[in-house]
Amino acid sequence: MPPVHSGLPSRQTAATSSSMTNEIDHPQLCQWLKSIALERDKQAFTGVFKFFAPKIQRIAQSKLSSEALAAEVLQDTMSKVWRKAHLFDDSKGAATTWVYTIMRNVTFDLLRKIKANKEDTLSDDIWPLTQALNTEDEAFSDHIENRNLQGVIDTLPENQQQVVKGFYFMEMSQEQLALHLNLPLGTVKSRLRLALGKLKLKLGEHDD
Amino acid sequence: MIKHHPKFELLQSFVEGDLPASLAAGIAIHADMCSLCQRQINQLTEQVAEASFEQNFLHKFVVDNDEDLAEIAELDFDEIIEKITANDELESKHELRDERAIDFKGMQYVLPKTLRNMALGKTAQIGKLSRARVLLDEGEIHTNLLHIGPGGAIPQHTHKGFELTLLLAGTFADEQGEYVEGDFIMLDKRHQHQPATEHGCLCYTVANDALHFTQGINKLLNPIGSFIY
Repeated sequence: MPPVHSGLPSRQTAATSSSMTNEIDHPQLCQWLKSIALERDKQAFTGVFKFFAPKIQRIAQSKLSSEALAAEVLQDTMSKVWRKAHLFDDSKGAATTWVYTIMRNVTFDLLRKIKANKEDTLSDDIWPLTQALNTEDEAFSDHIENRNLQGVIDTLPENQQQVVKGFYFMEMSQEQLALHLNLPLGTVKSRLRLALGKLKLKLGEHDD
Repeated sequence: MIKHHPKFELLQSFVEGDLPASLAAGIAIHADMCSLCQRQINQLTEQVAEASFEQNFLHKFVVDNDEDLAEIAELDFDEIIEKITANDELESKHELRDERAIDFKGMQYVLPKTLRNMALGKTAQIGKLSRARVLLDEGEIHTNLLHIGPGGAIPQHTHKGFELTLLLAGTFADEQGEYVEGDFIMLDKRHQHQPATEHGCLCYTVANDALHFTQGINKLLNPIGSFIY
């Protein structure tokens, strides 16, 4: 399948980036995380990795004063990004916040392992990764709604889940989805229709 | 209403992961009860994250000396990427353990969810005071669940170090006034206080030195100081 994104930063650009602009390309980072989640897209992961890795390595090095431990933080953090990308929800916060949280937690548990000789991995209890980052009151009821919906979506067949998540949560058009999933447009449309039928049944149509 | 909150510097260290587990847990418990602090933590986390991953942030680490720069290991990124993506397992959401409760003097308290996975020591008692150690193994920093029975009090004391008292359930009062559930009270050696409770209360406490009793006959109570610490 051809990758839809282009222009992954190379290692060279990352190494000389201090002369570059400050801007972080948030939409690009979100897009990469979604591609990892939905397609296990290695090229997207490479993009995420090359953006974060040099910074994580330096931050960890300054906190732990050890090359070996900094490498461990980098490896653990990025493994979790690869394996938990499906838990990332951009309505709750930026990709940078999500990766930062993982890095901070990994570092905390590692430091505790060294200092207190404890392998109790408390960090996820102290800083729950999945907590709603957006605590604006008006977003709250929506969040509950979303969670219900998410539960029902999870009961759909895998190929229908993909289109529903892409269409509603990532707000991709049917055309974009077709391109992204390498499927004929008609297939995307029929999967979406099928999935919506099931969702309506399961959620129960209350008033209308 | 909660009146006592962690100060800004403490929230910042919390977000940066620089606090010991005991204090970090105290702030997490408080934030669960205090939407104000939770919101501030969320904002801070976002800002710190953004700053950490800005390109410019690298400047912070750029040192004139080339040897210092060389200390950053040359890692083969492609090799690490290969290794990570070779494993295709997904990691599910962190599952919280089931609700966990603790009994003090026949009263049952549900533990804050931050504490569910932490090991607790046996409950010990002196008079109206009961405590269970939270076994975090942080050297001189001791963490306890401290229960004061109805009508109980801790004699007037000062601290040589710091003492955090986070009120989990019930109320107590000292010279400064009345405290309610969720109040986060951080004292250092300049403070003296004498908390007393009418109906009983449960606190999460963190201290890095034994309490020091300051008044007359209470000096004889110094065993209580090390009991509470």
